[in-house]
Amino acid sequence: MKKIALAGLLAVSLTGCGGSEEPEVLNLYNWSEYMPQEVLDRFTEETGIQVVYTTYDSNEAMYARLKLLDDSAAYDLAVPSTYYVSKMRQEDLLMPIDRSKIDGFDNLDPELVDLDVDPDNKYSVPYLWGTTGLAVDTADVEGEVTAWEDLWDERFEGRVMLTNDMREVFHVGLRVLGYSGNSTNPEEIEAAYEKLTELMPSVRTFNSDAPRMPYLEGETDVGMIWNGEAVMAQDTMPALEYVYPEEGIIAWLDSFVIPKNAKNPEAAHKFINFVLKPEISALISEEIGYATPNLAARDLLPEEVANNRASYPNATDMVNAEFQTDIGDEALQVYAKYWEMLKSGQ
Amino acid sequence: MRSALQQPFKTAVLVLVWGWLLFLVFTPNLLVVGASVMTRDPGSFISLPITLDAYRQLLNPLYLDVFLHSLYMASMTTLVCLVIGYPFAWALSKVPRQRQVLLIFLLIVPFWTNSLVRTYALKLMLATNGLLNNALMSLGLIEEPLKLLYSEGAVIIGLVYLLLPFMILPLYSVFEDLREDLLRASHDLGAGHFATFVHVIVPLTLPGVLAGVMLVLLPAMGLFFVPDILGGSRNLLVGNVIKNQFLDARNWPFGAAASIVLTLTMAFLMFAHRLSKRRIGEEGA
Amino acid sequence: MTRWLPRTYLTLVYLLLYAPIAVLVVFSFNDSRTGYEWGGLSWRWYESLFNNRAMVEAMWNSLWLALSAATISTLIGALTALALHRYRFRGKKALNGMLFVVMMSPEIVLAISLLALFLLVGLQLGYVSLLLAHVTFCLPFVVITVMARLSGFDERLPEAARDLGASDFTMTRTVLIPVIMPALLAGWLLGFTLSLDDVVVSTFVSGPSYEILPLRIYSMVRVGLKPEVNALGTLLLMFSMVMLIMSQWILTRSKQ
Repeated sequence: MKKIALAGLLAVSLTGCGGSEEPEVLNLYNWSEYMPQEVLDRFTEETGIQVVYTTYDSNEAMYARLKLLDDSAAYDLAVPSTYYVSKMRQEDLLMPIDRSKIDGFDNLDPELVDLDVDPDNKYSVPYLWGTTGLAVDTADVEGEVTAWEDLWDERFEGRVMLTNDMREVFHVGLRVLGYSGNSTNPEEIEAAYEKLTELMPSVRTFNSDAPRMPYLEGETDVGMIWNGEAVMAQDTMPALEYVYPEEGIIAWLDSFVIPKNAKNPEAAHKFINFVLKPEISALISEEIGYATPNLAARDLLPEEVANNRASYPNATDMVNAEFQTDIGDEALQVYAKYWEMLKSGQ
Repeated sequence: MRSALQQPFKTAVLVLVWGWLLFLVFTPNLLVVGASVMTRDPGSFISLPITLDAYRQLLNPLYLDVFLHSLYMASMTTLVCLVIGYPFAWALSKVPRQRQVLLIFLLIVPFWTNSLVRTYALKLMLATNGLLNNALMSLGLIEEPLKLLYSEGAVIIGLVYLLLPFMILPLYSVFEDLREDLLRASHDLGAGHFATFVHVIVPLTLPGVLAGVMLVLLPAMGLFFVPDILGGSRNLLVGNVIKNQFLDARNWPFGAAASIVLTLTMAFLMFAHRLSKRRIGEEGA
Repeated sequence: MTRWLPRTYLTLVYLLLYAPIAVLVVFSFNDSRTGYEWGGLSWRWYESLFNNRAMVEAMWNSLWLALSAATISTLIGALTALALHRYRFRGKKALNGMLFVVMMSPEIVLAISLLALFLLVGLQLGYVSLLLAHVTFCLPFVVITVMARLSGFDERLPEAARDLGASDFTMTRTVLIPVIMPALLAGWLLGFTLSLDDVVVSTFVSGPSYEILPLRIYSMVRVGLKPEVNALGTLLLMFSMVMLIMSQWILTRSKQ
């Protein structure tokens, strides 16, 4: 009965539109400002496929929306962080990637493929990797800031920004207490929550849409930032420094995945293939400041990009660094509970 | 007397509108009520068994706090709107007719403009390097920029800015209906300005006040984009909690329960409004 | 005292209401990228707006959606108002009450309930889901506008028409429709604007296949200060001014 009513409505609403030939479309679901427009334009130019770019600001939001729209096959390509790749793979939300359609796969850094989250990269292809570290506006901050712990300093009251990302914020809390950032121990998570509540009076805002903006707008002086955002910010604000905290940086890898019900997996493969071209990967890394896992692209990078310690950390920077891993749904619920408490506590 | 055409026409219209409302208002609301008593399910959003857990979770001090804080910000918004809007509507009703039309037009123009854009414009004003701070600093009134953005105050300012017309318009319409002879009668009977205000004007404008409160308080709890833009993803409203439960945390029963509480708040306000209107009606008669 | 005090007060409130909008308009012509300092006059943000293909497409999508939602809700709303005004039927009070509830319910509640419905019936989120949702929240506003017009309307006119032998249909066409025309237009414009402005409901019931302007703006303003938003805001402001002037003109003309 409902179906009939619906069909009637459809008939009413659809008269007048349609008829014209639809161009081929790729629905790309990606983090905000995580792909230069030039890359999309060049892809369209080369293949005739139009890219619809919709954005999210956290893995949780991306995952929830993909699940919501699972049946309606809304997205052809998404870019979750590694720990969500394994979650989505285990829940059978992803389509296997046809390696024969991806030419540049062998150029990828051997250290970043065949990870535990997705053995043999059956479901994911690395896009960019990066780090979350400290941003310090050296024009306004007096004294040194070298560790996450320094954020708790009284002088930063009302001047701190955190990313709007549950795992990352708790990572900081856990590391300051000496625990692993991937802890699944409820007591450690609770301790991190207690520690973070002490930081809250200093926290001005959470931002994962563009973590550089509160610094550029002069709202915050110190806090968390993604390395690429720091590099982009330095264009207009050289005083913004990217610091590798003593407790260790948060490292992550974002990968392309194709949702199981994607409408146009063909275009998705073409797009991955396109991005893995050395000159395109190089262009992306140069434009948005994150590190490309594509070794062939790294050779093409201009000197100042390849040697930028913010984008491409050296071995000492990576001491104590921890890659985010999948912690399982149970631990995730514990995090989620404390995260809500943290953000809504007054 | 009734023509043959009338019956089919009437039936068709009623079937159409009832069908629409049943399908797109009644059923969905039933679904929300249903979802609120189900169990959270990570796979398919909701599952059996039936439980009141979601409502119990609402009583958890944390969410009670969020709810109360949201209610507090919404009430502050309503209060500020009332304090600004009441004299405004009064003054507006005293302006010569011709000018009134223009002034009301000017009042509605912003209301017809995209609310996100207006919220964004407010951010331009309130930012640390923004115009307000620049102006105050160049006037020498302050030395350090005020940290206005990303605060409770910014959220309230944003809500007031968006919702003020909704307070003014119903107030204006009751002031329009306020009969001069009643006021004169009150004066003639020896009442002073203050007594006239308390005993005549306030009761007669009460329905307008309540309508305004209703039109401001409820949206002020739901406009989730205001804290997103002006509140630094803190100072959350009930709207943010509901949105997060549906689009982020995937706890549908809880989100549904929260929205039912919001609906009940609305029902309560509507009831109060009705009651006050009836009382006025009786007194007038 | 009684003369200048209200005037000053009115002026002050209008200044506060318009200051942010004025700033927005002025800054949309600002050449500087950072957004706070004045860098000279420029059209570049308007240009970059119109060179953004996704943005232009979202604009067309939004316009088409608002157009269709306003039209359908005006049609259904006008018929409903006529039925409510002219006929006695069982459940009239319930119908009135239901429309009132739709108008007063918090948008977010409407949004999640519709999302739940669309998921249940397996409707793909896109143009159709947006249209159904927008018509639903526009409907009561149209009904109210038309009802207000009808209640001020001389009941003897349709009677006279009928006495003169006009059928119900002819009477509706020749007497009723001309009378309620201004209300139809006003209701249509209101629906159009409500649809064009809606963020809350659209956030929930839209999918990537049909991106609309408010959501595009939302993702832009969340990122931070973007001069393109100033330009877009200015355009939207002008657009709504024109719409509003049109509707005022229609209403005042019909009164004469």
